[in-house]
Amino acid sequence: MLDNRWRKTLPLVAGAAALAFALGGCAPAGNSSSEDRPLRIWSGSMTPIANNFNPFAVDTATHMTYGAIYEPLFFFNQLSADEPVGLIGESYEFNEDGTVLTIRIKPDLKWSDDKDLTAADVAFSLGYASNLDPDMVSAEATDATTVVVTYKTPKFTSTSMILGSTWIIPEHIWADITDVLAETNPNPIGSGPYKLKAFTEAAYTLEANPLFREGEPDVKEVQDIGIDSNQSSEDLLKTGKLDWVGQFVANPDGITSNGHISTMNQQQDPTVITTCADVSLGCEGAQTDLAVRQALNLAIDRGAITDKAFAGLAGVSSPSFALLPRDEKWLGDPELAESPQQPDSAAAAEILEAAGYAKDDDGFYGKDGTPIELDLFSPDGWTDYNDAAKLISAQAAKAGIRVTARTVSEAEYWSQVANGQFQLALYGLTQSLVADPYSNYDQYFATPATAEVGQTPEKGQNYARYTNPVVDAAVVQAGSTLDEATKKAAYAAIQTEIARDLPYIPVVLNASQSFFNTSDFTGWPTTDDMYAAPLPYLSTASAVVLTHLRPSKK
Amino acid sequence: MKFWIRRIVFYLVTLWAAISLNFLLPRILPGDPVAIMLGKLRRGGRQLSQETVDAVTALLGGDKGSSLWEQYLAYWGRMLNGDLGVSSTRYPTPVGELIGQALPWTVTLVGAATIISFVLGIIGGAWVGWFRGTWVDQFVPVTTFLQSVPYFWLALVLVAVFSVQLGMLPIIGAYDVFEYPAGPEWRPAFFGSVFVHALLPAATIVISSVGGWLLGMRNMMVQTMAEDYVLTAEAKGLRPSRIRSAYAARNASIPSLAGFGIALGFVVAGSIVTEQVFSYPGIGKLMIQAVQGLDYALMQGVFLVITLTVLAANFLIDLLYGFIDPRVRRNG
Repeated sequence: MLDNRWRKTLPLVAGAAALAFALGGCAPAGNSSSEDRPLRIWSGSMTPIANNFNPFAVDTATHMTYGAIYEPLFFFNQLSADEPVGLIGESYEFNEDGTVLTIRIKPDLKWSDDKDLTAADVAFSLGYASNLDPDMVSAEATDATTVVVTYKTPKFTSTSMILGSTWIIPEHIWADITDVLAETNPNPIGSGPYKLKAFTEAAYTLEANPLFREGEPDVKEVQDIGIDSNQSSEDLLKTGKLDWVGQFVANPDGITSNGHISTMNQQQDPTVITTCADVSLGCEGAQTDLAVRQALNLAIDRGAITDKAFAGLAGVSSPSFALLPRDEKWLGDPELAESPQQPDSAAAAEILEAAGYAKDDDGFYGKDGTPIELDLFSPDGWTDYNDAAKLISAQAAKAGIRVTARTVSEAEYWSQVANGQFQLALYGLTQSLVADPYSNYDQYFATPATAEVGQTPEKGQNYARYTNPVVDAAVVQAGSTLDEATKKAAYAAIQTEIARDLPYIPVVLNASQSFFNTSDFTGWPTTDDMYAAPLPYLSTASAVVLTHLRPSKK
Repeated sequence: MKFWIRRIVFYLVTLWAAISLNFLLPRILPGDPVAIMLGKLRRGGRQLSQETVDAVTALLGGDKGSSLWEQYLAYWGRMLNGDLGVSSTRYPTPVGELIGQALPWTVTLVGAATIISFVLGIIGGAWVGWFRGTWVDQFVPVTTFLQSVPYFWLALVLVAVFSVQLGMLPIIGAYDVFEYPAGPEWRPAFFGSVFVHALLPAATIVISSVGGWLLGMRNMMVQTMAEDYVLTAEAKGLRPSRIRSAYAARNASIPSLAGFGIALGFVVAGSIVTEQVFSYPGIGKLMIQAVQGLDYALMQGVFLVITLTVLAANFLIDLLYGFIDPRVRRNG
């Protein structure tokens, strides 16, 4: 009797398969007319997407919260040295010593719920939750379009933070929210070009905001999709299901060859070997010796790392930590424009031997019988970093420096980097958002931005535990002036010190590739007009790109 | 009766040990979620007020101050109330909600795939065993080869062929997110979409697991066919198809059934790689994300659900075996 049952099952299975292919065959293909279809993007969210549109939930909120729904006052284009573009803001000015900031906003603005957006909302936002700068004394709306903000200390250098990444929220809604961290804000009311239409864990859709100050954007709907693997996103681009992504693709020709998708590659953020540099702050290990860091800097083959670990897409790093050519005018010594691209074992050996190191029987350097043994770690699964670390280990071995590359879980990586319990970490620094390397120096090299080993830095990200009075003085000097000559002199001093001390050994500039559909949508940034970085995961810039796009007429 | 009591006590002790381990394991993992969160908030050079730092510490490191024993008691208190806590990586979503949304997809997809794989393997194994020594023996190396192909690679090849080249099947998701931007709808077309989207993920699971069932069943079949009762049946002149199904296959499939029970228990754990490759919603992915983000509450919730189902499946199979085979009852 079992026999009969089996006979019934087999055709059923076969039938199911046949049905499947039939359904697959007639499943609706992507709508070919671009005029009425949404622009589909992948901003990097994985599924399940959290239903969170709270701009203060930096880690959990959806990407489109930042720029498309909520806006800052101004847009700072990190690709150019131009003046910031006014969004909500019209103009701004500092008083002479940089402690009073007067912001004027555009007149007759509306929130997406038709209430007026006035200077009172801006003043409220500047003092709200994590927007509140501990140095702020007061923020007052003196009339409907003017806000005067007073600070205890000069804030010239925080301009892009205050004006470019402080999200302006409606007071009539947020004044009643007491527990900001627990708020998910599922029905966001913002001032940006889009508002939320539909949300699911797999994707969410935005629709044009008819009350947007520049009028409704031309692309009426934008759908942001959750995807868990880069390969899927590549496949979706190839089959015309996705229009815009920003991700690493080793072989971009495979995607662009169909003529619909174009690509761009920006090289911005430095990938470095962060060293725990200073003994006085509790660092231990051979890398605390300047000679070892300098030797390592000369021993690594950046050309090979770029080609093998970063598919030849990464940019050339600068030991000055200024982004070239953007920050050209702030580079003191042209010698510091680029890190050496070829290894120089002889020069590395010379430095080590001058510092009293000698080779042991295995050909590795050591001092007083203790060999140099360095530990270099990177987060497991960041394949480009893992590969780069392996290459660095092999290249250092050629110069007689023993570096062991290993991977750790992401959680372990972040806490060890933050606490300073490491020797060498492959790490990515965030490039300054404006054409001025100040935030790089202030954030990563100044003493106030660091902490002793075992503690987390609170006023910056100087995880290298680097401390140098010359740098500190120059950072203070540069931060309290608007005079270009003074600033340049201060930067030159910093650059000389950090290029010699190498608390962060520059490796490459990370590539940020983007792919976008130029046949169905026009208005994307071009090499001649880089009005914003075409990266869908980037706050504000992504929204600026969206407002420039138009469906192409067929 | 003694047998049943002993089994039940054994399972209660196992349950207690599993839930306690579930409490301890995440705490052994290196890393500090508070430091990670503060680091993310400070990125870009924003200065944090003391209030924000305190709020984050209270949120993620809430029980840092209390002893492990107190945390353990509090943990049991919450478990007994059915409160799985709040996810920290997806704050403030309750863990129960996250699991509740992922579980149906996982159970349907992986459950269906496991059943299909088992049925195919058992039917195929019975046939291959019956016709042993003929060309059908080639099925064994072929299916075991498919099982040894890295799952990830297999999935990518199938996607490249069926989705990208031929355009027949979808690439990601549990349903067409482009057609249904507002989420699931109770319409036949939607269920068609769900079915089509489950095909490739299910096919990869089946292809990579059917070989084990087939091999096991085939070997048992060959062994059973040498038994006296099969010979007797042949001597009585019964139809070969009846001998094959009612005499040989029926007895040969008993050991596989035990394995099937355990496999069903693991269905809930999902298939991490499948969910990753196809962006399919499910439990496996929650587990990975919880471990990466040091989300203790989510980790514990997911592990708890998995532990409970595996234990329950084992318990059922244990009981079933006690009924089928009296020897087990006496020796247990």
